[in-house]
Amino acid sequence: MGGQPLYLAPRLESRLRSLLGSPDLLHTLTDALGSPLHVVVPDQLADNLQQFRSVYGIHHLSGQVFYAHKANRSSALLRRLAATDAGVDVASLGELQHALGAGFTPDRITATGPKNPEFLWLAARTSVTVSLDTRGELEQLATLVRKHALPRTRVLLRLSGFEASGVRVLSRRSRFGTDVRESDPLLESVERYGDVLDLVGVAYHLDTTSLAEKATALEGCLRVLEECRSRGLRPRAVDIGGGFGVNYLADGGQWERYTTGLTQAVLGTRPPLTYGGHGYGLRNEAGTLRGTLGLYPAHRPVAGARYLDELLAHPAASLGGSPLAALLLDHLYDLHTEPGRALLDQCGLTVTKVLEVRDHGTGGPLLVRLAAKADDVALEDHGVLMDPVVVPRDGDGSGVPRDGDEARTAAEPVGVHLFGSLCLESDLITRRTVFLPRRPAPGDLLAFANTAGYCMDFHATRAQHQPAARKVAAWQEGDTWRWCLDDQYWPTTPVGGAQ
Amino acid sequence: MRYDSITEAIGNTPLVRIDPAVHGLRNIDLYAKLELLNPFGSVKDRAAWNMARPHLAAAAEEGGQVVELSSGNTAKALAVLAGMHGMTFKSVTNRMRIPEIKDLLLLLGAQIEELPGQSECLDPTATDDPLTLFHRTLSEPGSAYLHTDQYFNPRNTEAHFTGTGPEIVKDLDGRAPDWFIACVGTAGSSTGVARALREHDPAVRVAGLVAAKSDFIPGIRTIDEAHEVGLFDPGTYDTIEAVGADEAIEGMLTLNRRCGILAGPTGGAAYFGAVRQLRAVDAELTERQSAVFIVCDRVESYLSYVRQRRPDLFGRPRRRNSPADLSPAEIRTAPAIGVADARAWIATGAPLVVDLRSPHAYAALHIDGSVNIVDELFEELLHGGLPFSRSRPVLLACPVGEKSARHAALLTRMGHPDVRSLTGGIIAWRDAGAPLVRD
Repeated sequence: MGGQPLYLAPRLESRLRSLLGSPDLLHTLTDALGSPLHVVVPDQLADNLQQFRSVYGIHHLSGQVFYAHKANRSSALLRRLAATDAGVDVASLGELQHALGAGFTPDRITATGPKNPEFLWLAARTSVTVSLDTRGELEQLATLVRKHALPRTRVLLRLSGFEASGVRVLSRRSRFGTDVRESDPLLESVERYGDVLDLVGVAYHLDTTSLAEKATALEGCLRVLEECRSRGLRPRAVDIGGGFGVNYLADGGQWERYTTGLTQAVLGTRPPLTYGGHGYGLRNEAGTLRGTLGLYPAHRPVAGARYLDELLAHPAASLGGSPLAALLLDHLYDLHTEPGRALLDQCGLTVTKVLEVRDHGTGGPLLVRLAAKADDVALEDHGVLMDPVVVPRDGDGSGVPRDGDEARTAAEPVGVHLFGSLCLESDLITRRTVFLPRRPAPGDLLAFANTAGYCMDFHATRAQHQPAARKVAAWQEGDTWRWCLDDQYWPTTPVGGAQ
Repeated sequence: MRYDSITEAIGNTPLVRIDPAVHGLRNIDLYAKLELLNPFGSVKDRAAWNMARPHLAAAAEEGGQVVELSSGNTAKALAVLAGMHGMTFKSVTNRMRIPEIKDLLLLLGAQIEELPGQSECLDPTATDDPLTLFHRTLSEPGSAYLHTDQYFNPRNTEAHFTGTGPEIVKDLDGRAPDWFIACVGTAGSSTGVARALREHDPAVRVAGLVAAKSDFIPGIRTIDEAHEVGLFDPGTYDTIEAVGADEAIEGMLTLNRRCGILAGPTGGAAYFGAVRQLRAVDAELTERQSAVFIVCDRVESYLSYVRQRRPDLFGRPRRRNSPADLSPAEIRTAPAIGVADARAWIATGAPLVVDLRSPHAYAALHIDGSVNIVDELFEELLHGGLPFSRSRPVLLACPVGEKSARHAALLTRMGHPDVRSLTGGIIAWRDAGAPLVRD
């Protein structure tokens, strides 16, 4: 197997740790509801919201935290959030209906993304705020509001194409938003439709982990807002979107050892660490490493609310060097954020059952087949590499032995390749050779932690008449875990909830 | 010494012995090769000149542009060389993390293009990384780029094989040192010098230094990043060790403060790595040995880098009348006034209203009749004494009433009898529906 096992242990906070320490519950659930099974933990979402709120507090900023609904379809999570003071960002007609039905009042909802006429109508009809991508969309909404005699609609203008002075940042092009250089005609349209549209502010969302790029965009927004004010408009907010990230791994050292190992494997100086020698974007050209590592930076010490904190403390280069938070405050703007993945950090896990464990004969990694499709555990689709946790069928998870030979081999670390249940060569849960602390057996569960953000239902299919995973909501009452089907959960469900 | 062109001043840098009292090695003479004394300030002057020289005249004739992937010294040297030949220079990089270097490049007329950060919503199927796209534009038909390609260009290594290496041997009276320690960036200097020294004496031991993986040291790559460099061959080095940023700065301070060598953090890393490597060897030695490390560039460009990691080095003396001296109790009990009372007070015409926000924010919206003194400036004014007559009441306003409370407390301590902070600041003022104007 080429040296020490390269683990990538998941970061587990208390709730997920406690759930994974409840093997009887997890086995009972999968026995009853099938594998794969998603477990969401709504109370964690409320805690994560508090972390974002406290960053707002540190910087004295007001404004709303909008949960990006697209990250998870769960009703339980949405309803739990409706019981707080957070907002929600919806990106389709169905999500808007879901949010309204979960108890969000329109003042707590923002509609974003590509929109069809029905979505626009319902948004305007219910007076939710609409984030507009283009001048065309603005005119479409204004026409619709006039034609159907709908109430004056609050709008945000989504901008893109920001440029820093001095240095050209080769930012990825976005298909969303209006180029900031074309903001003048956009503002003229806002003025022209002033009777039906109420400009509340501007928005951006950049697909990058770079603080500097986001700071540049925020500065650009402030300039456009100033232009709005000089036209007599009264904007109040900047929406900086999401992309705050999640720290998936417990140990930065493991991540560094793994990525170094992968580099060596691609260069051929150690045995492969992936199925078929896959390089995750890296390749070997005459002994030199080429390409770019196409992986999510799974160990990210600065993620989520802490990333927002750093962004707000980042000095604005072209506006006198003050921190961005101070600029927002100075100009009296509210700050809106749209975290999805970051707000769902530690909010759930996905449990899969081991169907088959097969030796390859050559001493290479074992083939482990799971009762799940790769799209049910979509970590790999997001480039997230993270070990599953073995939840044995018998025993308490401490690795306490079974009988005879099996017990001896079971205690040794093993390398495995994880296959899904589709009749398809490429149905691998991950192409990485996964190291497990012990050999799994059919009937054991492999639990993938922290899948609530984008990795539960965003990619799931019903290919080959195989079921998509069911979802349950779980919460703690004292030392006991309680659960119900996701759709059965309301904030009144748990004892001690609002009754 | 008289030259016809500044480029003639490249190379022939001094080799300076480090005082044994500083490094503490008893049996090894440690020498620093002072590449920081090259005319554009770094070891990269050699490689830049050697790579660009054969092509400059032709490229200038075509109206071409010099292009390199560089975040620092190579870009600096190429920007100067391009300018001297009537051309422009463009640097494409995702590693430009030193603000002073960025500003210096802009000052030298360079264009800088920064590669974007990693995608947050990663698409693992997207295979066109920004560098691939960069190379594609370089090779488009009709393009007139002079791409020096420092990570793959053998003339980078050659500059050191024919220059830096032989100079060291000459300065050691025709002997190669027993040890050569170098940081790995493009691998050009370490590979070229190592080859020259070994040609002279195959027994030379070469130690390569890389940055610790989670760390950032300017000009040094981590071991994974080194593998992306075409000139990097692990076989060049007898050992490859990692150096941390704190260690690099420690080494740099020793060179700066005790040796009179104004090296930057890269040179500091080389010194630190050299002493660490040699200390173990030194104890076992019975005969004298020699070792050489490279001081790559100067300290001045890295002040913000050092300040970020070692703020303690920049401690300034305390100044009088500073808000930092206030106790929490003083701030809590600072005289304050709510929005409604403040409006009534202002209506009497008595107080001078001072808005502490930035000029941009003030220009956008402010309380009618107020004066804008941005808080940093206000703080500066207070160091000198009271900026208002004691007979003039003052209302201080900031965004949320936090900074204004501190300054109100300070002014009170300085003896102003009637200064107040606007509770909740301009935001509370706005939320109460009180008027804000633009002039």
